[in-house]
Amino acid sequence: MPSEEKLREILRYLGAAGSGDMQFQQKLAALYEELRQEAPPRQRYRVFPLERTETGLVLTGSSLPPLTGQSAKTLLSESHSVVLLCCTLGAAFERKLRAASARSMELTLLLDACGSALVEEGCDALEQELKERFRGAFLTDRFSPGYGDLPLTLQPEILKALDAARRLGVTVNEQLLMNPTKSVTALIGISDRPQRARIRGCAFCALNETCIYRKGGMHCGD
Amino acid sequence: MAIDLKGHDFLLLDGAMGTVLQQRGLKPGGLPELLNFSDPELLKSIYRAYIDAGSQVIYANTFGANALKMKKSGKSVSEIIHTAIRLAKDAADGRAQVALDIGPLGELLEPMGTLTFEEACDLFAEMAEAGEAAGADLAVIETMTDLYEAKAALLAVKEHSGLPVFVTMSFDESGRTFTGCTVASMARTLEGLGADAIGLNCSLGPDRLSPLLKELCASTRLPVIAKPNAGLPDPVDGHYDMGPEDFAAALAPLRGAGVRIFGGCCGTDPEYIRILKAALQKEQAGSTPYKRESFVCTPVKPVSITGIRVIGERVNPTGKKRLQQALRENDLDYILDVAVAQEDAGADLLDVNVGYPGIDEAAMLPAVVKKIQSAVALPLQLDSSNAEALEAALRVYNGKAAVNSVNGKREVLDRILPIVKKYGAAVVGLTLDQNGIPQTADERFAIAKRILDAALSYGIPREDLWIDCLTLTVSAQQEQARETLEAVRRVHDELGLQVVLGVSNISFGLPNRTLVTRTFLTQAMQVGLTLPIINPNQREMMDTVAAFRLLSGEDRECRAYIARETQLETAAPTAPAANMPKAPDLQDAICRGLAQEAAEIAKRKLDEMTELALVEKELIPALDRVGADYEAGRVFLPQLLSAAGAAQSVFEVIKNKMANSGSEMTIRGSLAVATVQGDVHDIGKNIVKTVLENYGYRVYDLGRDVPPERIVDFVQEHALRLVGLSALMTTTLPAMEETTRRLLSLPDPPTVFVGGAVVTPEYAAEIGARYARDARVSVEIAREVFGV
Repeated sequence: MPSEEKLREILRYLGAAGSGDMQFQQKLAALYEELRQEAPPRQRYRVFPLERTETGLVLTGSSLPPLTGQSAKTLLSESHSVVLLCCTLGAAFERKLRAASARSMELTLLLDACGSALVEEGCDALEQELKERFRGAFLTDRFSPGYGDLPLTLQPEILKALDAARRLGVTVNEQLLMNPTKSVTALIGISDRPQRARIRGCAFCALNETCIYRKGGMHCGD
Repeated sequence: MAIDLKGHDFLLLDGAMGTVLQQRGLKPGGLPELLNFSDPELLKSIYRAYIDAGSQVIYANTFGANALKMKKSGKSVSEIIHTAIRLAKDAADGRAQVALDIGPLGELLEPMGTLTFEEACDLFAEMAEAGEAAGADLAVIETMTDLYEAKAALLAVKEHSGLPVFVTMSFDESGRTFTGCTVASMARTLEGLGADAIGLNCSLGPDRLSPLLKELCASTRLPVIAKPNAGLPDPVDGHYDMGPEDFAAALAPLRGAGVRIFGGCCGTDPEYIRILKAALQKEQAGSTPYKRESFVCTPVKPVSITGIRVIGERVNPTGKKRLQQALRENDLDYILDVAVAQEDAGADLLDVNVGYPGIDEAAMLPAVVKKIQSAVALPLQLDSSNAEALEAALRVYNGKAAVNSVNGKREVLDRILPIVKKYGAAVVGLTLDQNGIPQTADERFAIAKRILDAALSYGIPREDLWIDCLTLTVSAQQEQARETLEAVRRVHDELGLQVVLGVSNISFGLPNRTLVTRTFLTQAMQVGLTLPIINPNQREMMDTVAAFRLLSGEDRECRAYIARETQLETAAPTAPAANMPKAPDLQDAICRGLAQEAAEIAKRKLDEMTELALVEKELIPALDRVGADYEAGRVFLPQLLSAAGAAQSVFEVIKNKMANSGSEMTIRGSLAVATVQGDVHDIGKNIVKTVLENYGYRVYDLGRDVPPERIVDFVQEHALRLVGLSALMTTTLPAMEETTRRLLSLPDPPTVFVGGAVVTPEYAAEIGARYARDARVSVEIAREVFGV
């Protein structure tokens, strides 16, 4: 069963932070569990040494263009390597969502929120795995293209570096949208020194103008 | 074909290309297909290394040489494929065969993506034609994870070349591909479509792929291919964890299970092939017994006919006014609803019949098949006598379908059976011929035998022929019930074929029809009926099937029976939960999202008020009330949607009543909604559509990823005054802007409203559109535009 915190996250995606009676919460929890069984997150990562060159930060051995933005510079200021990762709920989620939308809009919406929470859980699990694998080293925050000034145009390159089409079934279209839709790519720096949280928060979020929580004076981390 | 697998030989393919390129220092990035031009000598040396190691077939460097992936390469598909095949042939120099290698297109097919099946076929056809013209000895379709895409490629190769063709797909340990395809579905679909050999490649090492390969051997009569990875890669250094010896030691023993064709995928190199060859020579060839069974499937749902399998009969316009109306209005959503309800009621297959005067079956049947398959997992039985419609539908069907039907007439058999064979479908044969329905069981049996002979002569295996012994109305021809049962018994016992029967006809014109029908159903199942065509929404019929499965021993340890009874028991009180007061009126029921109850009350109300009054006095006030509560934060979105769902069910009651009385619904106004080009998110758009429909507006849903010109054309064609556009990503806002611009530059421009996570009121104003923060606001905009 999902944790209290997970449940709050799902409610937040539904635009309903703090609301929902017991019965509704039980329904959500059961749905989340069902989804976890039927569309478990699958992940893949690769580690690339980081080189600082005149043109920017280079992930050696990948075909990513040098990273030049402020977000990457800040995030990776003390890193010697970079983890590229992708996590997806795959086609199983899309199938379930299509089946749901032929039955009930409400179910579709709940499933969509559960899917968002589950793919995050998949990323968190991978981060745990990385912490164990690189014991003794320190990881930065997880940061995804589209946030801050890390360009979305990296999306196809990250997927290519991970061979994600073949390994995970994740593709990206010309508008840089990933399919299956519940997919996340991110990078994480590896450093020899403890890493402070550097670049989380509203300022880096693409939704900072339209966010319903900000309008209500809240944060999505609340 | 040039590939000879007779006797006890095995065939050795090559190993990886990418791995060896990396070993030789090639940097990642760029299109590998361009190496055919930039470094032909490197490629040739790799081919030669594989041939020296023992490869009898080498894959030319054409994996991604399709027009989609090569768009920015500056080269044509034909140019790349000709160069690649010629290079490989030069290197082989007659010592090995050269395969045209066909990988996935790199874009997802519908319904997951937006690439249509027909577009995929065309892209693969271009490759197949170029490959054959360039002199390839065979085609290999590999690394597929979507059975639909594999089918498109296989059809294209078979229709556009004479090349022998292998197909391999990638599975993970769960026994499914990423898209959920099972081994059985893959094997029986591709064998039916005429592949020359099928197998598994990539994804895992031979150790973990072994159980799946054995399952594959039991699921096909074709030679089986194994081309696994060298284990799993290390995320840090990219190295695969199985050396050549371990790889060979795990793979070679599969010769004993019947695998005939071997090779390697990611992580393997010529050394792996050399050692594999030596290991294979030491192994005894063996086989796995083929599991011969009647079978239909979708990728995710294999259905073996090893007991009673219920065919749902509801997607059929005969005698159903509401469905007739849906067909006339091209309302595929309603047809999908009918299919979904049967899946939820426990059907195993669905019969799909869209034949009705004025309906172009050849266009409608494939469209309905696609629509149903987008959300329903069950295999379909395509029900038509129109050969063109059947072929069009079988073409786009994903999996192995059934066709209903042929009969004993020679010209029918000669017209339909070749199509059934080409697409590897199962087929129902009706025991009637040019002389009509025979009166005796003997004569029906004789026709069944004739149909069987015809099917076999066309190469259709006997397990793919199902016989319908025909149910006649007992009140009109009482003695015919016994004849039908006797025919069922003989076809089952003497011919060993599956028997189909549409049973409900038996009780026509009698009181308490269900009693007669279910008793006849029991009698027929007892003598060999396996595929009853019934209405699965009728609980009594499904009860009978459940009890029969239990008594016949098919339902092991009574599990399914008990599970079903438990579920029915817990679902029984559909009325409000005990702690809630009983909903006194329709508006309350809608507001609380009690769909079934709302529909019941609406049915009663329609006895005393008109449809229009029900909409205006009950439905819309209820929706306004829940909308106001939402606005005020008293309810939130899921509750609003569950109320919308209840309103929908009330609307369905109204539509049904009007269809039956032949009257037309008053439309308050018509509009189109779409998710803009490049964007695939459609939940928001669907919510807007549902809510607007509930308010009595007619909403044309143009779908997602819709190009501006399609929207503009549609709006002009239907003279629409209102259009809603949705976009969820910053990268698709330009498409929203472009679409809006083109709509607003029409001579008499419609009102455009926009919404989606990244859309702001300022942005909307800037592009000249109205901003719809949510579905409620879209209703207000519609009211303004239409004045009602």
